[in-house]
Amino acid sequence: MTPREFILRLRSWVQRDRLSRDLSAELDAHVDLVARDLEHEGMPSSEARAAARRQIGNTTALREESRDAWGFPALDHFLQDLRYAFRGLLHAPGFTATVIITLGLGIGANAAMFAVIDRLMFRPFPYMKDPGAVHRVYLQTTINGRRNANATIPYTRYLDLVGSAQSFSQHAAVSEWRLGVGVGENTRIQKVAGVSASFFTFFDLRGLEGRLFTDVEDQRPLGSMVALLTHEYWQSELGKRPVLNTQLRVGKFDYTVIGILPPGFVGTVQGRPPHIFIPITTVPANLNPWQRDIYATSYNWDWVEVIVRRKDAVPVAAANAELTHGYIRSRTAARAQNPRVLPDSIAHPVAMAAPLRNGAGPAPGPESRVLLWVSGVAAIVLLIACANVANIMLARVLRRRREIAVRLALGVSRSRLLGQFAIEALLLALVGVAVGLAFAQWGGSSIRALLLPDGSTFDLGTDWRTIGVASACAVVAALLSTIGPAVLAARSNLTSSLKSGGRGGSHRRSALQTSLLVTQGALSVTLLVGAGLFVRSLNRVRDVSLGFDVSRVIDVYPDFRDANLESGLESATLKRLLDAAQQIPGTEGAARANTALFQTSIARLRVAGIDSVEQLGRFNFDVVSPGYFDVVRTRILRGRGFQATDVPGSPRVAVVSQAMARALWPGREALGQCMEVSWEPAANIPFEPCTTVVGIAEDAAFQGVRDEQRFVYYLNVDQFATRWAPLILVRLAGEPTASEIERVRSALQRVMPGDGLVILRKLQDVVNDQTRSWRLGTTLFVALGGLAVVVAAIGLYGVIGYTIAQRMHELGMRIALGAQSADILRLVLRQGVGFASAGVVAGLALALIAGPWIEPLLYKQSSRDPLVIVTVCLVMLGTGIAASIAPALRAVRADPNRALRVD
Amino acid sequence: MGSTDETAPILSGTLDLLILKTLSAGAFHGYGIAQHIKRLSREALKIEEGSLYPALQRMLVKGWITAESKKSPTGREARYYKLTAAGRKQLGQEEADFKRSIAATVRVLKLSDA
Repeated sequence: MTPREFILRLRSWVQRDRLSRDLSAELDAHVDLVARDLEHEGMPSSEARAAARRQIGNTTALREESRDAWGFPALDHFLQDLRYAFRGLLHAPGFTATVIITLGLGIGANAAMFAVIDRLMFRPFPYMKDPGAVHRVYLQTTINGRRNANATIPYTRYLDLVGSAQSFSQHAAVSEWRLGVGVGENTRIQKVAGVSASFFTFFDLRGLEGRLFTDVEDQRPLGSMVALLTHEYWQSELGKRPVLNTQLRVGKFDYTVIGILPPGFVGTVQGRPPHIFIPITTVPANLNPWQRDIYATSYNWDWVEVIVRRKDAVPVAAANAELTHGYIRSRTAARAQNPRVLPDSIAHPVAMAAPLRNGAGPAPGPESRVLLWVSGVAAIVLLIACANVANIMLARVLRRRREIAVRLALGVSRSRLLGQFAIEALLLALVGVAVGLAFAQWGGSSIRALLLPDGSTFDLGTDWRTIGVASACAVVAALLSTIGPAVLAARSNLTSSLKSGGRGGSHRRSALQTSLLVTQGALSVTLLVGAGLFVRSLNRVRDVSLGFDVSRVIDVYPDFRDANLESGLESATLKRLLDAAQQIPGTEGAARANTALFQTSIARLRVAGIDSVEQLGRFNFDVVSPGYFDVVRTRILRGRGFQATDVPGSPRVAVVSQAMARALWPGREALGQCMEVSWEPAANIPFEPCTTVVGIAEDAAFQGVRDEQRFVYYLNVDQFATRWAPLILVRLAGEPTASEIERVRSALQRVMPGDGLVILRKLQDVVNDQTRSWRLGTTLFVALGGLAVVVAAIGLYGVIGYTIAQRMHELGMRIALGAQSADILRLVLRQGVGFASAGVVAGLALALIAGPWIEPLLYKQSSRDPLVIVTVCLVMLGTGIAASIAPALRAVRADPNRALRVD
Repeated sequence: MGSTDETAPILSGTLDLLILKTLSAGAFHGYGIAQHIKRLSREALKIEEGSLYPALQRMLVKGWITAESKKSPTGREARYYKLTAAGRKQLGQEEADFKRSIAATVRVLKLSDA
């Protein structure tokens, strides 16, 4: 077809209705002319017209043929089929609604999972140039077979790794902090990112207002105090007022605002994006004056993440090799400072350029692993939905067998028939996508709350990646579920279908239908087993005694924000904060502590009779004030806690956990024993004098919910450190609501000197973060497992209902011959239970095979839990019965009179 | 309906050529085209309406002819077809092709008879 002809065809296609009218008029005129000529030849006028009509013949065929010339016959056929399918679906609203809802649920589950996983793992960051070549650097050690990958490293190591590297065209260090921004009453805690000047070269920032900072402004040891703001921060917090070249207080320093980043820029951070970007070389001094210089030479502070752009010609393996080489050199340098850095032969150090998104990297965290599992589950739900739709389609084809036979007999080609099935399926899929996205948007908001850090957008209506994936899912699902029934229809035997009439002959179930039902049942059982295991596992997690109870405890961190804090003011303020906290009405006590929940510290420890205490495990310590044990509800099992009489001059005392007492003094009385403690890592610095154990505390899970060892010792803040223990823990009498927390905050804020501010946190949130992966797994598995069962039940109900309808005649005969209601009921229920049992057997086999892979995600939970298996069996059998009850009751009401009259 | 002495079948592919040739003589309506061909072939070639109108539609779409509504001499509205420049070119092409093809075919027939 030439382009010119295409255009003419297109024009005539658009005008085809008018052309059709013109042609009709023309043919009428033609008949008139023929008739006139016939009259001239002497034929009576009434006969002449009829003869003329006869001569011109079948005008419909003529018009059809002309139509082909006006455009695109294939398109015409398609539109015709589409209209036909549309009408057909409207005429069977029950069928249509069931299919659309089933598909919608399946597609919705997958769309929601994809939307979440895409955001966590795959989506490129806004404005990033050629994101495929950009990596995050991970360092990994493997000690005694335990692999540990980490993206947070010392700045010094960043310099070691990239300093002479040839594999990368760009590199940058990034570090995020929460700092007080603003002055006085307007101070707010904000996320602030310290970045290298080179960081911005990874992006195409044409929408920038102002300028970026330069290498000179990012010089070691202390960079310039310049800041870039995000567009969003400038808009919401600063009301879009002109701020370029004005001063903004960030942490301890005043920064000059030099630029506003374009809208939507988030850097390389997932979750709530930072609002302010400052030179990374100003961060250490901002956090702690004494870190101003040493961060660039010491290796004992992990605080930056590194991103690199691999050169086009360099394969990932080569880049990794170069990075690993640099890492080993860097460890050697670190060993010169601290001889305790493990030798490479034990640590097996490896460095790698991994995907930028943490979720896709080597240390993805349990959430990402759970998510991958759950997306597999979502795919299974879609499979179940497909099986279901296939079954419904099959029933429909069987019901329409006669109609199809008639159409085939009238000369519709089989390929056209298959095409019509496909079009019907695609139409259903299209609506399914819309319904699915609606489901996903609605159901996804709860997943988002569990998974995505606040602030990430989740608007599926404009999320083209998710819409694309959902559409692909829908098309595949629709085709999968139509192929079988359509082929069956096209193959149907004409004569037998035409002869058998409306009654549809035998009631024999097709093998396809049975296997689809059993597959659905089996997959549902597998998912239910998974859901049951997660529920049990979460219960176990909840039952774990952590050795403390922080459900009503808030921790308060005082940020002094004063670069030149006079010595003594800090410790004096901490004392005054503690006093103030104890006097707030509605609190049950307050105490000081050194380490935040689950962030542990260790010191050098020596105990008489043991060569190396370190070899026994990790002994965490905390420096606390006397009220601590009451505030966090850690019980003192024997001996005593700290008292007001434990003062700097008196003998040093410690409380140890029961597990630690057993490990260090097995079979002996721990009370009264001597421990030597040293804060200095270097072996040549002498230990402090004896610290005597005066109390045994219940085992506290300092290292997290999974902490098994629980070696913990507590020292008294009054005896050990006045500058340490910067945290104030406050126990509330009631629930820690936002208003309660605000009351505590405002009371303590008044105590802070200068621009200092207090930062509050609910400790229960920290605990919940640790149990998140289990809660996530439980929620999603239960939701999707439930969904699967519902879908499978709909399928079972549909098929049993259909077979009963087919068997009405036979059932009527049975009743006429004396069958009792109970017999009929049993007959139908047996069918439902039979399907369910077959599904249970197959599903349990599947679950037992898949079990071992899911065990690492569970908490102390075998994948072969009898309780779970029995419960799932009962649920499935119950579902089988429930799905067949309504059809069974219909069967009992079968009318024997009608059955007898038909024949 | 076999072909008698008076009528001849229209060779496949020549319907377009006949229509184009007819229209090169002036504008005709559909009936007129059929009558014209009938007359010039001394009633031997009879164009079926069932092929004529689809052929006209095809040629319209290909841009070889245009149609225009006009009053016929008898006073009623009719669609008159006219050759376009592209149609004239097509006619030349098809005519030449046809003549060469016929000449060649005739040659083959003659040589085979000899």
